[in-house]
Amino acid sequence: MQYYVPHPASEALLTSASNWMIIIGGFALILGLVSLIQLHMNRIQRNVEGWGYSGVLFAAMFVMVIAGILAGGENLDSERELTGYGWTYSYAMVPLQGTMFSLLAFFVASAAYRAFRARTKEAALLLVAAILMMWGRVPLGEYLWAFSGDIAQWILNVINSSVRRAILIGVSLGMIALSIKIIFGIERMYLGGKKE
Amino acid sequence: MKPSNHSIVSMMLTIDRRYIFVLIALATLIPLLNPINLPIVISPEVRAVYDHMESLPEGAVFLLSMDFDPASKPEVYPQAISLLRHAFKKNMKVIGMTLVVTGTGMAEEVIATVAEDMGKINGIDYTFLGWRPGASAVILSMGQDLAGTFPQDHYGTPIDELFVMEHVKTLRDVDYAVSLAAGFPGIDEWYIYGKDKYQFELGGGSTAVMAPGLYPRLRGGQINGLIGGLRGAAEYEKLLDQSGKAMAGMDAQSATHFVIIVLVILCNVFYAISRQQKRGWRRT
Repeated sequence: MQYYVPHPASEALLTSASNWMIIIGGFALILGLVSLIQLHMNRIQRNVEGWGYSGVLFAAMFVMVIAGILAGGENLDSERELTGYGWTYSYAMVPLQGTMFSLLAFFVASAAYRAFRARTKEAALLLVAAILMMWGRVPLGEYLWAFSGDIAQWILNVINSSVRRAILIGVSLGMIALSIKIIFGIERMYLGGKKE
Repeated sequence: MKPSNHSIVSMMLTIDRRYIFVLIALATLIPLLNPINLPIVISPEVRAVYDHMESLPEGAVFLLSMDFDPASKPEVYPQAISLLRHAFKKNMKVIGMTLVVTGTGMAEEVIATVAEDMGKINGIDYTFLGWRPGASAVILSMGQDLAGTFPQDHYGTPIDELFVMEHVKTLRDVDYAVSLAAGFPGIDEWYIYGKDKYQFELGGGSTAVMAPGLYPRLRGGQINGLIGGLRGAAEYEKLLDQSGKAMAGMDAQSATHFVIIVLVILCNVFYAISRQQKRGWRRT
């Protein structure tokens, strides 16, 4: 409503509401933390398979929290040197997350080899589009075949954009319909009720 | 006659994935160690971001929201370096922030490092606001009252005391904002809760896997430009005429793409042969 009625009163209400949302967001973090601790405590207590990983999670969490408290939450000290917290972040968390993401390249290549097979006409079309995109989006591809870049750009701008728009419009209409059902009390599943 | 499980075709179709891993590792490592610096073609979406930055006057307010975590560092971090270099080169007032808590350390590091290289002073030429919980609520709140959302910068200085924030009270006072995103919250949130309501120009930077999903926003003018993945970062480095990690990584990306293309073609050749063999066996 505020979007369509930019009156000072509604502006003030929006300011207040968005501040409250930030505060609630902070509490949601605490809730998430408590939930995570409960889940992994449970796994350790029950000795379920892989419970050791839950122990690793607690150890990592403990190290980060202690390092963070000792460093006052700062990555760098007054002499611009890394604090213990900054060191743990830069030399443990960043490389670990980077490694996890970079493993994708290996798995994508392996999956592409096994799954990208022209079993049907539709699969063949997808295969050709994928090859054109992979070819046209790297300098070597454009160097070997200059027009490939234009083809990749056309696929992105025309085919990709139109399909994405169709999906977005469909999802948005669905969300509007669901919101109306919730507002009028037709849809109560979010309250934990059963389908009538 | 039954097909032999030990034929070359069936062996290639069920090849141990570790051979593929080795090929990908070599395709990544060899070009990184021996770069050949293939020419990079500039795409219109990256040029749009660059041109808009160029069109802004000295002292313009540039907000860079570094909404990515360490997992996306190789792709998005070079984008942040290039954009910050460009903004500092143009003597803009730079405001850095993040909507992703795990990215706070990286965002602080990149802005402080580039500023130091360019001889810029914290509080006067730039500020780093840090992170606040709430994602879209933070954007909405910044649009209403920036000092209310971030009463202090990341280092605890009240933002009312910062010279760089002197005339910046809400998002309406920002001349150009760029969200470098790797998921939620990111460019979509900056458009829906920021640009659309508070009317500032918005650009985007993202991981390569996210970029195709942002083309409808780009084509619709909801974002004025897009730096997609390592390729986008390399293009921006080329526009700035400053070779960095992105340009260095493009040869490796080229090689891995071509290894995957060759593997996919080979796999389909073997698959077609195996289908023909099966048909032949059925006939006999």
